Amino acid sequence: MASLPKRIIKETERLVLDPVPGINAVPHEDNLRYFQVTIEGPQQSPYEDGVFELELFLPDDYPMEAPKVRFLTKIYHPNIDRLGRICLDVLKANWSPALQIRTVLLSVQALLASPNPNDPLANDVAEDWLKHEDEAIAKAREWTKQYASRK
Amino acid sequence: MAYSVKLSDYLDGDEDSVILEFESDSEIDELGEVDEDSSHSYSEVNEFSDGPSDKKDTGGSRYLDADQKKPSWGRGLTEMAYESSGVPKLAYSCLTTDQMFDLILARLERIQPIFEISYGDIIVMLQKYGWSEERLLEDWTEDQERVLVSCGLKLATSSNRSRGIQDHSDFVCNICCESNKQRTFRLECGHEYCIECYKHYIKDKLLEGKIISCMSCSLALKNPDIDAIVGDNSSQTLMRSSIKGFIHKHNNHYKWCPFVDCNCVIQVTNISALSEFPRFHLSPFVVCNNHHRFCFKCGLESHAPGDCQVAEVWVKMAQLESANLNWVLKNTKECPKCGVNIEKNGGCNHMTCQSCEYEFCWICELPWEGHGGGFFECTRFSKDEKNGATETKNSLRKYTFYYKLFSEHENSSKLDWALGLAVEQKVRALQENIGISWIETQFLPESIRSLIEGRTTLKWSFPVAFYSDPSHNLTKIFVDNQALLVSAVEDLSQLLQVKDPHDIIARKLEFYNKARFVQSRNRALSECGRDLLCKRICVPRG
Repeated sequence: MASLPKRIIKETERLVLDPVPGINAVPHEDNLRYFQVTIEGPQQSPYEDGVFELELFLPDDYPMEAPKVRFLTKIYHPNIDRLGRICLDVLKANWSPALQIRTVLLSVQALLASPNPNDPLANDVAEDWLKHEDEAIAKAREWTKQYASRK
Repeated sequence: MAYSVKLSDYLDGDEDSVILEFESDSEIDELGEVDEDSSHSYSEVNEFSDGPSDKKDTGGSRYLDADQKKPSWGRGLTEMAYESSGVPKLAYSCLTTDQMFDLILARLERIQPIFEISYGDIIVMLQKYGWSEERLLEDWTEDQERVLVSCGLKLATSSNRSRGIQDHSDFVCNICCESNKQRTFRLECGHEYCIECYKHYIKDKLLEGKIISCMSCSLALKNPDIDAIVGDNSSQTLMRSSIKGFIHKHNNHYKWCPFVDCNCVIQVTNISALSEFPRFHLSPFVVCNNHHRFCFKCGLESHAPGDCQVAEVWVKMAQLESANLNWVLKNTKECPKCGVNIEKNGGCNHMTCQSCEYEFCWICELPWEGHGGGFFECTRFSKDEKNGATETKNSLRKYTFYYKLFSEHENSSKLDWALGLAVEQKVRALQENIGISWIETQFLPESIRSLIEGRTTLKWSFPVAFYSDPSHNLTKIFVDNQALLVSAVEDLSQLLQVKDPHDIIARKLEFYNKARFVQSRNRALSECGRDLLCKRICVPRG
């Protein structure tokens, strides 16, 4: 494997030494560009008390290209589809090389705190969210309990 | 690329001749306005394009590149046929990306005095405003400062930092995290990164044609910054890419050619005529410099004799029904005699089995004998083939039959394009080996063009036939016309398989005659199809 760019080494070091509260990212031992991530559901959100697993991959062109992030834990959220793909501006058009792994993961956490059903990825979920918000939130809470409880 | 006029040739030349070359036989008076505009722009062009002129546009070696010298048959046959009969005409021109950019500059020239800032900056603002000049002007008159800040042309707070390349002895770049960086770049915002990171960052964004901003905030990089960092006149590339946004905003007047890898833009100068076309069941077909014919309205390839509605309904239906059909019909057929699998790898439908030497027609799988003559029945759907089938089954079978024909001709026309490339080789061989002049070899590309146009008309005549009332006399005439065009096209296709250069020259007259025959049959079929539509004998329904 080609040697790891200094940027990735630095970021990894900082993630370990100075972790973000509620977020944990550990590089895979075989591939240092592949991170296993857990994010705690933000308080006062339907995802509270849940621990969500994600995977994060740094493409060859990182940091010029955005990292690839995907939920592994099932989640009921209008901007996250059944395959765990996330609709988030900083992962696509608004990516800038000045952003980092930690800022991206913080944005994902913020997305959990404030779902945006007006710009949906999972259309059915978004529709529920707009029509019967209470029911949708209850369902999100239920899924969190069912799939994302702390082990 | 033997005959194409290089871009640089006409950038320096006088602009009148440029426009005329593209518009050899259409309305010059309509273009008066455009002409004028572009003549203003040429002084500006030089400012942006004194680098090596665009390679991308001259890169593709296409066999029909002799475009600017094309004689009158360059325009579509059908258009020419209608020109006398009082039906609408479209005035259009085909622009390269560079000409398109010149046109944008000419437009900017008109509004520049209001802003009194550079063209590059106006383009930045227009990009931010989705190329809506009205909205930009409105906001600009209200609050210039706010517009400048929101477009990233100015910082919200004043700063005493300078913009530009900086020299250091030991700089740590926050993007790559490498230390010992000597050269960096920063904007007034103070975000500073090494020159290598900036280069990489900018290069990735040049083709997007959007504003390139500081990596950490929304302050925009200007053209001189981009050139200072990347070199190679890169800001020009960015400016050229920015026309995408412009075309998107003004898509009533401008359309990209939908063919793969074609960078031509069609500009229609009398869009009011567009609304006239549906009344006549005609479609506004345009031809780009690479001889791709497409419909300006729906963006599909030329679909005469059908109108846009036939094409739309047919395409929708094909998408629903044809997934499986495609698999069945694709690629191979068994020889009707010995059963060996045969793949069709040339455009002609006259097949000779390699194993048993049986000659048959690829479409109807009947013996070839008689196909050249008067008994050409391949395009006829014989309704009473099998009676007793239920209504729905019959209609599916009917659809399958027509769809099969449609896709056969689609495949054939793809192969014809390949044949066209071979023709280019032949033309070159003729010139080099036999010493025949360029103009004398033009019957070959002309033949292939007639062939392709004929084939496309045939292809789209099947949807028309499918939606037409089969009992009506005119439908029968239409089917007869189809058969005639099929045999004309097949004849020409076969002739184009001739490989020996001497033989080709010797049969020049034959090429001419067959191509002309295809053209006249093409015209007849198109007219007949239009009649079916006008008289509502052909009614497309989903």
